[in-house]
Amino acid sequence: MSARPTVLRRTMVGAGAWAILLWSAAPFVWQFSTSFQEDKALTADTPRLWPSPGTLDHYYNVFATKHFQLYVLNSIIVAGLTTLICLTIGALAAFSLSRLRIRQRFGILVAILAVSMFPQIALVGPLYLVASNLGLLDTYASLVITYVALGLPLVTWVLFGYFETLPRELDEAARMDGIGPIGLLLRIVLPLSAPALVTTGLLAFIAAWNEFMFALAFTSNIAHQTIPVGIANFTNLYYVPWGDIAAASVVVTVPLIVLVLVFQRHIIEGLTQGAVKE
Amino acid sequence: MDGTMTTPRLADRRQVLMGAGLAAGAALLGAPRRARAADRTEISFASAKFFGKETIAQVVDAYNQAQGKVHVTYVELPPPSASTEVHQALVQQLARRSGTPDVFTQDVVWIAEFAGAGWALDLDQYFPAAMRGDYFPGLIAACTYQNKLTALPWFVDSGMLYYRTDLLGSAKPPETWADLVTAASGFQKDGKAKFGYLWQGKQAEVLVCDAVEVIASNGGAILGADGKSGTLDSDKAVEAIQFLYDTINKTKISPPDVLSWDEEPSRAPFTGGEAAFLRNWSYVYGIAQDPKGSSVVGKVGVAPLPHFPGGKSAACLGGYQYGVNAATKNREAAIDFLTWMSSPETQLHFARQLGIAPTRPAVFGDATLAKEQPFMVSLKDVFTGATPRPVTPKYAQVTLAIQSGVSKALVSGKVKEELADANSRIGTILGK
Amino acid sequence: MSQAIPWLLLLPAAVSLGAVSLFPILNGLWLSLHNTSLVTQENDFVGLANYGTLLGDSQFWNAWRHTIFFTLVSGVLETLIGLGMALLLYERFTGRSAVRAAMLVPWAMPTVVTSKMFGWLFDGQHGVVNWVLLHLHLIQANVNWYGSVDHALETIIIADVWKTSPFMALLLLAGLQTVPASLLEAARMDGAKSWQTFLYIRLPLLWTTLLIAGLFRALDAFRVFDLVYVLTGGGPADSTETLSTLSYKTLFSTLQFGYGSTLSTAMFLTEAAIAAGFAMFIWRQLRHPA
Repeated sequence: MSARPTVLRRTMVGAGAWAILLWSAAPFVWQFSTSFQEDKALTADTPRLWPSPGTLDHYYNVFATKHFQLYVLNSIIVAGLTTLICLTIGALAAFSLSRLRIRQRFGILVAILAVSMFPQIALVGPLYLVASNLGLLDTYASLVITYVALGLPLVTWVLFGYFETLPRELDEAARMDGIGPIGLLLRIVLPLSAPALVTTGLLAFIAAWNEFMFALAFTSNIAHQTIPVGIANFTNLYYVPWGDIAAASVVVTVPLIVLVLVFQRHIIEGLTQGAVKE
Repeated sequence: MDGTMTTPRLADRRQVLMGAGLAAGAALLGAPRRARAADRTEISFASAKFFGKETIAQVVDAYNQAQGKVHVTYVELPPPSASTEVHQALVQQLARRSGTPDVFTQDVVWIAEFAGAGWALDLDQYFPAAMRGDYFPGLIAACTYQNKLTALPWFVDSGMLYYRTDLLGSAKPPETWADLVTAASGFQKDGKAKFGYLWQGKQAEVLVCDAVEVIASNGGAILGADGKSGTLDSDKAVEAIQFLYDTINKTKISPPDVLSWDEEPSRAPFTGGEAAFLRNWSYVYGIAQDPKGSSVVGKVGVAPLPHFPGGKSAACLGGYQYGVNAATKNREAAIDFLTWMSSPETQLHFARQLGIAPTRPAVFGDATLAKEQPFMVSLKDVFTGATPRPVTPKYAQVTLAIQSGVSKALVSGKVKEELADANSRIGTILGK
Repeated sequence: MSQAIPWLLLLPAAVSLGAVSLFPILNGLWLSLHNTSLVTQENDFVGLANYGTLLGDSQFWNAWRHTIFFTLVSGVLETLIGLGMALLLYERFTGRSAVRAAMLVPWAMPTVVTSKMFGWLFDGQHGVVNWVLLHLHLIQANVNWYGSVDHALETIIIADVWKTSPFMALLLLAGLQTVPASLLEAARMDGAKSWQTFLYIRLPLLWTTLLIAGLFRALDAFRVFDLVYVLTGGGPADSTETLSTLSYKTLFSTLQFGYGSTLSTAMFLTEAAIAAGFAMFIWRQLRHPA
């Protein structure tokens, strides 16, 4: 940065940052506060940010009574596996479409997109029957297989778009050094694509983390149920234990934020400028 | 879902006796022991996930240990709050006619649908008229389709009127809707209550429940007696829905927000001390008495819903009931399990441990129940007068038409036109 | 061997998509030509009769209009807000990591919670939103957000924009990072102002990413379900009924698999039209980058 940014620019950036912070985090802060308040505070005349009286009942309910930690573990396994597999398959496909000469690549990309356009609720029924016949109900496999397929189109397209921006000189250089296509992918393209990989990985992870309908249909035992199903199970017939649900959502969102903080600090920053040798 | 059907091994008598002895010994020691497949008929039981101090799985386990002929595998479906998913899961299995699940539970509004599709076994021969008399007549009527009993009552719930005892004082709860309006507006004018009367107007199943109650309390009905045509456009029905519309726009005892409220959002202001009257299910009472969730502890009373002049109080019938798979390969075992689950002892157990009300009037007289759940016992009369929602195999489509039509009527105020429109849609659905 | 490599690399994706996504689509197309209903046990081939009924079904067109409107408005809003967020987070300032993490919170929150949470936030009587707006004197009286035909769809759009802008922001941020720093440096050296840099250098290079992100966002918005179903159930008076909620009710509640599949196919065809529009732009952009 050669010239110091003007005061106007700095104030604008500062104001914008605060706006984003408030807009994004405010509802969550409300959730956070609700998780420490008694349920009757929800209908108080004046919403209070600071719980008085505060209560830890909801967190106790979430862990001791509902065994929420089991659901979290299941979600970590399912979402983690989904992300790894989806990134792998998607990167292979995107690399092939972008770097290797395939004449029908537009058609293939469109096909990948088209297959993802069918409304997901129409998929639940048929897939449930298939999973049932294969004995895959109540397993991680049924969820991971489904989520990978659901996330693949976005991952492939975004990685494809990103790979396209990498200069072709890289391929030339690699060929001259005698590195084959696989080597090009693993040693050169992938390391340069860290921002795109982290981004799509994060999106795939969150999508698998939050998916509800297939998880509800495919699993019926706490041994394999994921967080959204766990939260849905808080409600018996009519009563919605909102305090408990707020506590559960805090428990679920905070680690995700920590995850984001860790990953972006180590990978995104420092890789943006001068990543590609001119 | 496949109930694990292991082939029963041919065991010799000594092994059976030893096995039975071990089982008895283990049961005495209190250690839950997985029943062996040998000599026991395996059946599967699918139910929506209910819970309270105990879970259904524990109740099923108790059955498994109480006898040695049948072993029941419990298949847990989503909780009843996700009733559409429960419905879907159940139908997927029943439609395959493979025999699993052998026994299941069904929402009271699905009984006609399952019976019409031939998925539920006729239970007439197993539960003769004498036995049927032990249950609430309204429940038995709801479990009967085309004069055949296709479901056995499990638990019951219904709509009821909650009121603030501190506001009403010594006055009796209103018996007619007009009385309710007078009382409610009075409280609002005096500043004693912010809202007069809260109900559920969200375009969802609960709207049909609210509608059924007002319409039936006026002597009207949504479906004709033959079940082949609708009577939603009758004068009595129009008057009833007009009353609901007026609570928001004319008498103004209800806030316009009720049009987006289902059970919980309408319950919250009441237990927050802001409303004088509330129409809701039985679950509200427990919350109203919990100091952590309610600002009106000890100030809540329950009564049957009001009615129109010349009509009778109507409470919408809810609750899940048992059914047996028509394609089951283990009828005797299924009936045995069903009889046990529906016995007075088990119904009492369900009432005490899961908080769901029995469907046998006799159980309400039990002393322990009176001590532990006095509120539930007081509801006996309310449940006796419970009214079912329209009984038709095509209920799933009919309810959507009712929801859409009534919601439009309540929003626009053109009650007669919208109800007539919805009625013709119902006619098309039923005529097909 | 080298001829086969491109196809081998595509194989895992093909297998995955074929097994999971293709079969139900073909099954759905097949079913849409029948009057399959699990309840009435009908299962006859009816050709295109279902599609005929669909074209005359006012409920379908009602839902279709709402869905298109929702997709358009929320798509545009999310793109603009997402772009703003991405541009801002590209800058260096203290606390950038914290803001980046905070930005993701709406997207990271479980959907089952978000819908109910907005139900509480926008509650007509006790919602925080009404309370804040009242005290800021932006409104005179409590607004009946999702209980009124006039505001229900807006409420859902606001909820969706809140939830999904981070999705766009994240993708656009990654896209911004493909703009070579040297170009930006050179422009600044030449005295270009920020908005000029944005308009003439960053935006053209960002265009592909923008189109791809926009495409996926549009397709997802078209299928919006959870928010609508939990918040309003399609009401009041069918005013927020979307194609997804209609399909859900038809498939899951009434179990009319034949007609439900016709609805799904209709959704698919509309999405295909939207995607085709986007794809043409994207392909043109890739062939002739700015």
